[in-house]
Amino acid sequence: MNGIFDDFADFDDLEENLADPDPGARRVAVMELADSADPAAIPLLARAIGDPDAGVRLQAALALGEYDGPETSAALAGALSDSDAEVAQAAAASLTELKEAEAAAPLLSYLSDATPFVRASALRGIRELRRPEALVPATAALEDASAEVRAEAVGVIGWLKDEAGLAALIGATHDPSAEVRLLAVGALGFSQSLDACAALIAALGDPDWRVREVAAETLPKTASPEATSSLIDVLSDDAWQVRLKAVRSLGKLRARAAVQHIGRMMAHPLSNLRKECAAALGEIGDSAGLAYLGAHRDDQDPDVRKNVRWAIGRLSA
Amino acid sequence: MDEIRDGMNRIDCDILVIGGGTAGPMAALKAKARNPGANVVLLEKANVKRSGAISMGMDGLNNAVIPGHATPEQYVKEITIANDGIVDQAPVYRYAQNCYDIIQELDRFGIRFQKDKNGEYDVKKVHHIGTYVLPMPNGETVKKALYRQLRKARINISNRYMATRLLTGEGRIAGAICVNTRSAEFLVIRAKAVILCLGAAGRLGLPASGYLYGTYENATNSGDGYALAYHAGAGLANLECYQINPLIKDYNGPACAYVAGPFGAYTANAKGERFIECDYWSGQMMQEFYDELVSGNGPVYLKLNHLAPETIGEIEDILHKVERPTRGTFQAGRGTDYRQKMIEMHISEIGFCSGHSASGVFVDEDARTTVTGLYAAGDMASVPHNYMLGAFTNGAVAGEHAGDWIRDVDHAAIDEGAIEAERRRVLAPTLREDGIPPNQIEYKTRRMVNDYLQPPKVTSKMELAQERFAEIREDLSSGMLVRNSHELLRSLEASSILDCADMAAAASLFRTESRWGLYHNRVEFEGRDNENWFCHTLLTRGRDGMPTLRKQPVAPYVVEIDDTEKDAYYRQRVGSNALKTVAAE
Amino acid sequence: MPLAQTVTAVPVVVDDAKCIADKGCTVCVDVCPLDVLRIAETLDGRKTAYMAYDECWYCMPCEADCPTGAVKVNLPYLLK
Ligand SMILES: Cc1cc2nc3c(=O)[nH]c(=O)nc-3n(C[C@H](O)[C@H](O)[C@H](O)COP(=O)(O)OP(=O)(O)OC[C@H]3O[C@@H](n4cnc5c(N)ncnc54)[C@H](O)[C@@H]3O)c2cc1C
Ligand code: SF4
Ligand code: SF4
Repeated sequence: MNGIFDDFADFDDLEENLADPDPGARRVAVMELADSADPAAIPLLARAIGDPDAGVRLQAALALGEYDGPETSAALAGALSDSDAEVAQAAAASLTELKEAEAAAPLLSYLSDATPFVRASALRGIRELRRPEALVPATAALEDASAEVRAEAVGVIGWLKDEAGLAALIGATHDPSAEVRLLAVGALGFSQSLDACAALIAALGDPDWRVREVAAETLPKTASPEATSSLIDVLSDDAWQVRLKAVRSLGKLRARAAVQHIGRMMAHPLSNLRKECAAALGEIGDSAGLAYLGAHRDDQDPDVRKNVRWAIGRLSA
Repeated sequence: MDEIRDGMNRIDCDILVIGGGTAGPMAALKAKARNPGANVVLLEKANVKRSGAISMGMDGLNNAVIPGHATPEQYVKEITIANDGIVDQAPVYRYAQNCYDIIQELDRFGIRFQKDKNGEYDVKKVHHIGTYVLPMPNGETVKKALYRQLRKARINISNRYMATRLLTGEGRIAGAICVNTRSAEFLVIRAKAVILCLGAAGRLGLPASGYLYGTYENATNSGDGYALAYHAGAGLANLECYQINPLIKDYNGPACAYVAGPFGAYTANAKGERFIECDYWSGQMMQEFYDELVSGNGPVYLKLNHLAPETIGEIEDILHKVERPTRGTFQAGRGTDYRQKMIEMHISEIGFCSGHSASGVFVDEDARTTVTGLYAAGDMASVPHNYMLGAFTNGAVAGEHAGDWIRDVDHAAIDEGAIEAERRRVLAPTLREDGIPPNQIEYKTRRMVNDYLQPPKVTSKMELAQERFAEIREDLSSGMLVRNSHELLRSLEASSILDCADMAAAASLFRTESRWGLYHNRVEFEGRDNENWFCHTLLTRGRDGMPTLRKQPVAPYVVEIDDTEKDAYYRQRVGSNALKTVAAE
Repeated sequence: MPLAQTVTAVPVVVDDAKCIADKGCTVCVDVCPLDVLRIAETLDGRKTAYMAYDECWYCMPCEADCPTGAVKVNLPYLLK
């Protein structure tokens, strides 16, 4: 290095190197374009992503992750159907870096591509741009044959936080794939509507424990009047993870009606659960909790003891 | 390769940021944004692309104060309590108020934080009082995103230059002297303001592995920042409050209990039982950890094997992809499947870092040190519990303040004699035919640090350490041999490490009480002595060139702490110790 | 005192068949925080990266950023 400072790219040189017969040299040129942070690199990279050499294409797909805008998203979306899987994966990853709203438009046309991977990756790229015009195509994608695509569609709708998408999300809580149901249930948290609450309560009975866990966690975000009684019912769930989330949510809701149920669970052999129960009793703040807490002042687990002390302090104050 | 070339370049700039890890890039960006006309230089010993503690990224923010989840007042309260009260609250409060803006800014930079299914920040709960953990999937892209911003803002980046001394003149900062680590050429930079962001002192204690660089902390962080500030006459606070971390044994990487904690994992003893009362990373927790290790109940483990396989998969995804990606390889080599076995942990060697205490180069709420025009941010500055977000936030505070401040000042006159003296000091080992290699000087210093400074602290041992350090200092200045520019870099690091070792000993001897759990556990002075020691210690360079110390009052609190809360951590300690004694008998 | 060359097993391995250092790549050398990698000439006159100093922090950017997947960071023996 002769200069004291890092150089900025010389585009004439780079363009020449991009035409070098040696793929290694082209690859090095693409890396320099990645570092230049100059939008003038985008058209050059858009060309390089069509290079005959897979290594160069991979480097270009990675490099485009440094840039934004419609030209970038169009080039990346095209590379999603690259014959080389690694290139396609890199293009998909770079699409998730997009931030500019205008980058969404070129992606929309890929939602009808023949390959599920392309459709899913295009949706994933759109998600964080939060474009209202994506609602209709994303809703349509909920009917896709591929669960991967449906999951990404739920992602797009969830991020829009638009009541207009609610019916679609509620529909997705009945999806055959547990993964999709789990995402849909979590996405209902933005809505204060009775329909969303009802769907969340229904999801507490989902056959997959992870879906039930998310439902128990999400319920207090809504203003459901029946949340408390439904969560109390879940306190006897087979999976302790679901119970734990239900206890935590009941604490957040300051659900006095739950004190006895939570109190009885203080005897559970799993200390993580006892700890959560003690914290919830403290948060609920009903002195009736004291009866259950006292017995655990000397719990064998220090974290439980600590939460018990904290809760007793709160309830006695 | 790496031959030593004779050369000296000189440049002028308005704001010089030293250290391009975490705080540094943000300081440079903010200085430039605040004062677009300013000439900002970012100088880095390694390469800004992958330098610093966040080289390969991080798995989350440990201390995110996000509206709706926690308030700045709650946060300040907790940090005050976790530090046994020895905290100037104003900088902590400033951090707590600013950090949410910085999170959003980082988000715009393309740094990814965990969001829920509606795209809102998905903050994980670790504590009843506040909620501060925000995971970062794809944390490995942090440096890439920062680098992109620096390039966009056209900041002048100077890689592979190590700052060796600061220049002062007219009673304020004047610039820095730097050496190229691949050519040994000098670079003298005149600057109106200098922002120090050189990270922690991670190569102070010696890891048991047998490697000098097998440290928890980024091994390029050899304490140069502390040494620079010290020689420039700045004050350093509470250095006796060492950093000691719970680590994965042998691997020496973080176990990240705070990542796995919200999923239900916990620290346990050999019986699989929880023993830590204090879940906040504090000296108290480290004391409990240490006690358990030396009791019959050790070793200590991180326990995950009670969790559902799906949950463990999720934790593995977070832990093995970023931060220290070799961790997965290590666990596989040991045959540790988190589903079956607990992960053996240990405690680290000592270091300096404000990550867990109000120790480091003393700064106020504007990130100003006690030297005019000199700022400090990140792990080396005295704002406690900063971590990554604190480095970013306070880097921004420093950059913005400096951006304004330089408008009204000119370069201070510099002392040519100081430059010549530094050149002689740096090059002396290159002029010898024969001598002691820098790695041996470093090894010996750090072995003495382990033998004599690692807590519990004993006066006579620390005094012995000082004798040994004096001998090593003599060897370093009159007998060290350097054959190429790479060894020159190592020799300069060895010199910083020795400075830090001396500072550690002096500060620890000065505070004649025990405080902050294991961090400053002085065997002969049991317990806290609030009457005499409810204060900062401030270390400066004395006339004899050795550390000198004085007390500095803790600034009046901004957020009141009532008496019952003050002792929250202390009470737990008594309770748990009592229990443990019974168990041990 | 005279100096000795002591043998040590270094953790970073570069596959010189994959390395494109002779095309101008220096990525791994650039990113290494401890500055322990260098480019050398191979026996057949090509260039390749290699670990010149045994001072690794096993932090991995060299492996992660190498465009051709030529770098492998192993855990050093004493640490394993
Ligand atoms: C293994 C590990 C895991 C962590 N995990 C987390 C986490 O999950 N969440 C979190 O919030 N925090 C975490 N932290 C803490 C966080 O990373 C640090 O607090 C933060 O990055 C410190 O930033 P800094 O700018 O002070 O130092 P750094 O980012 O380390 O930067 C210091 C820079 O200064 C350079 N430098 C040093 N000496 C010189 C010199 N003489 N001349 C020029 N340059 C020099 C170094 O090369 C380096 O680039 C972790 C830290 C470590 C080590
Ligand atoms: S990054 Fe990879 S290709 Fe480039 S010099 Fe290093 S080993 Fe060779
Ligand atoms: S693992 Fe880190 S320290 Fe080791 S060679 Fe690679 S980049 Fe350098």
